[in-house]
Amino acid sequence: MSHEIFMPALSSTMTEGKIVEWLKNPGDKVERGESVLVVESDKADMDVESFQDGYLAAVLMPAGSTAPVGETIGLIVENEDEIASVQEQNKGKQPEVSSSDQLELVSNKTEEKPEVQSEIVEKKEKEVVLMSEKAAPSFSSDQINAATSNVSSRVIASPRAKKLASQMGVDLAKVHGSGPHGRIQADDILKANGQPVSIPWIGEGGSPASVPGANLGVESKPETSGNSFGNPGETVQFNTLQKAVNKNMESSLDVPCFRVGYSINTDKLENFYKKVKQNGVTMTALLVKAVAKTLKKHPQVNSSFSENGISYPENINIAVAVAMEDGGLITPVLKEPCNTDLFKLSREWKDLVKRSRSKQLEPNEYSTGTFTLSNLGMFGVDRFDAILPPGTGAILAIASSKPTVVANSDGSISVKKIMQVNLTADHRVIYGADGASFLKDLASLIEDEPETLVS
Amino acid sequence: MDNRTAIIKQPDNISSFNDVYKLQKEYQEALILDNSNPDFIWIGEHQLCYTLGRGSNYDNLLFSLNDAKYDVFKIDRGGEVTCHMPGQLVTYLVLDLKNFNKDLNWYLRKIEDIIIKILGAFNIDCHSRKGFTGVWIGNKKIASIGIGCKRWITINGFSINIDCELENFNKIVPCGIENCLMANMIDYNKNLNIQEVKRIVKKTIEEEFNFDFISK
Repeated sequence: MSHEIFMPALSSTMTEGKIVEWLKNPGDKVERGESVLVVESDKADMDVESFQDGYLAAVLMPAGSTAPVGETIGLIVENEDEIASVQEQNKGKQPEVSSSDQLELVSNKTEEKPEVQSEIVEKKEKEVVLMSEKAAPSFSSDQINAATSNVSSRVIASPRAKKLASQMGVDLAKVHGSGPHGRIQADDILKANGQPVSIPWIGEGGSPASVPGANLGVESKPETSGNSFGNPGETVQFNTLQKAVNKNMESSLDVPCFRVGYSINTDKLENFYKKVKQNGVTMTALLVKAVAKTLKKHPQVNSSFSENGISYPENINIAVAVAMEDGGLITPVLKEPCNTDLFKLSREWKDLVKRSRSKQLEPNEYSTGTFTLSNLGMFGVDRFDAILPPGTGAILAIASSKPTVVANSDGSISVKKIMQVNLTADHRVIYGADGASFLKDLASLIEDEPETLVS
Repeated sequence: MDNRTAIIKQPDNISSFNDVYKLQKEYQEALILDNSNPDFIWIGEHQLCYTLGRGSNYDNLLFSLNDAKYDVFKIDRGGEVTCHMPGQLVTYLVLDLKNFNKDLNWYLRKIEDIIIKILGAFNIDCHSRKGFTGVWIGNKKIASIGIGCKRWITINGFSINIDCELENFNKIVPCGIENCLMANMIDYNKNLNIQEVKRIVKKTIEEEFNFDFISK
């Protein structure tokens, strides 16, 4: 079992403390009474000791960061073999995990934020986002707990929630707690402050809106939670990327498109994702792999219209739409996902996103897609449809995976995670039956054998 | 409250920083192992050296660490870089706060009060500043504080500039405060000397913490 290390109160008036230094690294053996870290408040610092023999399993707040008194800042386990499982459980909370990798939103703006904010504050906010990501999927239980929380008049809130509430000026008494027994959590405060926190497990891929983490950073103007490139009353010229997107979107008006949708149960996929996530696998890579494998069986859906007839590309290249925070979007391409293992594919995707952010993609890295994915799952949308990019035959819109009450064929009722996908296709080359059978096979791959996505 | 026994050491010669630091650690360890051990007070002067707390920003050190001309120590205390030298009186207190008040803010404010009383004994009017731990005469800093603590047993303490070469502070950003001006007690009372200040420091600590001193 694991034991928590809390931010100690160095004085009766202290509300938060700064972690000066971790004297032990995760995995290190610690003895009872041995100093594990140093906390500072004003000109005094204090060694924080372990209360038992064991191993430091996880550092939840890095050196240099500030945490409220009572906050869990590290975990100690009694046996060496517990380290890995505790680290895995707390992966989302580890400060080393960069939220930009998780959310994969291309942003050039983040580096040039005008407000004076220390890196520490940024890190903390990112961590809030990561933690809310973990908490978000329990949507239905949120509501149940919120209802029960009204019964008690006493305000129960986590230390982090209290801190956020005071920073954002949110009245705790008016917030519905989503935690156990109505305890108010950090993301309840964010919700109450009108900031999007619902980042379900497909918290990656291309989202053409702003990322919650970025919103948190812009505390000076909390009233805008989405993108705006100009001020009210202004007209702002399109940038080059926006012009290019406009041209592509307009050309779709000459294409006779149809749409076909499917609800996919993602319980198994999600379980599989949990297992491979620690090896760096991203949800985008999993979805790309599933789509590519299914396209291999359905070459018609990978085809496109040309003046000479139906054009069947030599390769299957999956483009994934990624929003740029300063306007426009880009579609980095994962080439031949069927010939690349899942881990390499995930690394390739991370690299593409990183280079998109710094606008360093070569044209062949964003213009060679034969099929496109657009994922808005991280915003909790239940369905949407996408516009077909020129030169391709189809695009798949992926919505959020949500716990849903499902009637089974035997008449029983159960709750399953359901993700709606919606295919937009050029009817000149892809017919309704092609699209439908493609979706059916995609669904059965995701629902029944997600583990085959490894290779 | 019953008086507690404390060992006091106040050498007349200039002491090596490292030796005294080791001595403090020994007394701290002894108290951690057995809280019936005595507290320990040291009052004296050091050769020129610079010390940093564990969370200190090295940017406040305005010379290279490789510069062999200066001794630099990184020690168990809070706060930013400071400087010790002859003519500055340094006081270390290894105290078990469990016998007083387990509150580091209380302890820091207590030390400020003690310093203000010490300077008051020489008719020097000084004050603390909210958010800037230490003791000030106008906008000039006369005394600096840095505390470390392990299981409520303190280490390090405070330094008062009596009659020292303040130019040595120009090689650092003292306490991390830009354009921080430093002051010497001698500039506010020509008649004092370091031995006299030492005597008052000892007396004030004895009274404030109800100590029975044993000299070593």
